[in-house]
Amino acid sequence: MTQAKQIKEFAKQLFRMSLEDGELSPERVDGVLKALEKNPPRHLLATLKAYLKFVEREVAKSTAVISHAGQLAPEIVANIKSQMEGKYGRKLDTVERDDPDLIAGLRVVVDCDVYDASIQSALSTLESSLN
Amino acid sequence: MSSVIEQIEQQIANLQNKTVATNTGKILTIGDGVAKIDGLSQVMYNEMVEFPGETIGIALNLEEDEVGVVVLGEASHLKEGDEVKCTGRLLSVPVGKGLLGRVVDALGRPVDGKGAIDSSETYPVEKIAPGIIERKSVDQPLMTGIQSIDSMIPIGRGQRELIIGDRGTGKTTIAIDTIINQANINKVGLASGDPDFRPVYSIYVAVGQKNSNVARTLGILEEKGALEYTIVVSAPAADSAANQYLAPYTGAAMGEWFMSNGMDALIVYDDLSKHAAAYRQMSLVLKRPSGREAYPGDVFYLHSRLLERSARVNENNGNGSLTALPIIETLAGDLSAYIPTNVISITDGQIFLETDLFNQGIRPAVSVGLSVSRVGSAAQIKATKQVAGKIKLELAQFRELAAFAQFGSDLDAKTKAQLDRGSRIVELFKQPAFNPIPIEQQVAVLWAMQNNYFDDIDVSKIVEASNSLREFFSSRKEGLLTSIREKAKIDDDLATELKTAVDEWKTSFN
Repeated sequence: MTQAKQIKEFAKQLFRMSLEDGELSPERVDGVLKALEKNPPRHLLATLKAYLKFVEREVAKSTAVISHAGQLAPEIVANIKSQMEGKYGRKLDTVERDDPDLIAGLRVVVDCDVYDASIQSALSTLESSLN
Repeated sequence: MSSVIEQIEQQIANLQNKTVATNTGKILTIGDGVAKIDGLSQVMYNEMVEFPGETIGIALNLEEDEVGVVVLGEASHLKEGDEVKCTGRLLSVPVGKGLLGRVVDALGRPVDGKGAIDSSETYPVEKIAPGIIERKSVDQPLMTGIQSIDSMIPIGRGQRELIIGDRGTGKTTIAIDTIINQANINKVGLASGDPDFRPVYSIYVAVGQKNSNVARTLGILEEKGALEYTIVVSAPAADSAANQYLAPYTGAAMGEWFMSNGMDALIVYDDLSKHAAAYRQMSLVLKRPSGREAYPGDVFYLHSRLLERSARVNENNGNGSLTALPIIETLAGDLSAYIPTNVISITDGQIFLETDLFNQGIRPAVSVGLSVSRVGSAAQIKATKQVAGKIKLELAQFRELAAFAQFGSDLDAKTKAQLDRGSRIVELFKQPAFNPIPIEQQVAVLWAMQNNYFDDIDVSKIVEASNSLREFFSSRKEGLLTSIREKAKIDDDLATELKTAVDEWKTSFN
């Protein structure tokens, strides 16, 4: 096994240890980081980077980023959250972002899935169809 | 102007405020035309993905936590962190008769400066080959117009016949001759108004060739009036390895469209050695494990899945066909190298061209001993079988005897006769490039040879005599040639007519 693969495998093991009932646990992540600090492996930096990637990916899977132009009513956010949780079968955190570039409407990003109902997206579709 | 406004209004009216779901990823690294993508969790193998700037890529490596994508076209504007979108579509190219007479790139985009292509249909570049039930055995001839091939190594519609030889031995010439001959046959057949006539459309795929070579080939096709029945797919040496890898599949998709619509097509892959090299380059950049000669493990599958798409389908499936003439370049005549042996085992025969024969002036330099057609003889017309049945054996015996005859001067009469006959056949089969001979003329000349009309002609004058005989037939015995073409066999009446005609020619030639 190459060094990069070994580091990745080790980071994956650390990531598995950071899960509690299939969900990322902040306490466990803290524990992993403390253990690494106490007994640093040979390639600590590379290991931490690989571990960070796994954690980031898991966080992205558990987060619905709702970008919107203008005001967004709390009940709409709650509605989106419940629909997305139903779709993905897991609990999701929501993050709201004001993005005037959208012109109007909203865009929801969960991991690598993008749900776009913005005017900006509709206009860019129109632009490409006219080209 | 008002139509433009109407068009925009129409688009706006169609614009519904609905949610568009896309699966996206981000570029982690990019280099050598290959991008590693984080995300794209729903991407399919061989799916087209969209980079910024409408650049297209194909997902080829689906790994646990990243996707290896080959970028098709310009990649210099792409950078780390750029968003990549799944399209949900497999790579498709335009197909149809609108492509005839055009030169396109590996993605089916025109590169000949003749404007947009008139085609509304698209076809997937990668497709599973027709299965057993859909197929039919090869039983219709595909004339190359090259005497030595049509008589000894016949090719049938739906066959895969490999053209193999060292560089500069005339491999491309044979393929181009075949394309020109199809165009000539198409012109005669379509002009005759015969409802049963089935034209053969050609596709020439140039992989990793110099642009000057492609331009020369185009010039020849145009000059001979064959371009109007031909599609040229060009992925020259300056193109990316991804485009060179794709070009044969693009050509196959275009040819397969003709086959699936009940038409006949011929496809030339020039050449698959460079195609394998392009695939090797791509695989190494994608960090796939390498095997023999650094080719990836699936290099056999690369060619087998391509060549299996050439087939003859039965009446229930349109009765179309796709004949393939793949070309392989050998090094120092080594047929046992990795890629040549692979392709030899996939194809239904091979035409081997020898450098020695080429240098001796025997052109086309077809090696009779090493060339074979495994299914084509079933498709050979009866007239050719009648006149050329023994020629391959006679020529093979001649080569053997000629080798022995070098050691001794005293030869018995029978051996001498065999040598004389063999040397005359060799001369008879000499043929200039880009001048395919119609099958009826081939039959007439071979009939004259089999009936000893060339025996008293000096060997050095055989080519001249053959040209003179063909000229005589085409200018003065047009009706006889038409009878041979239509009957496709030599019966007693035709034999008598042939005898009278050749006797008449003989008196004028002497």
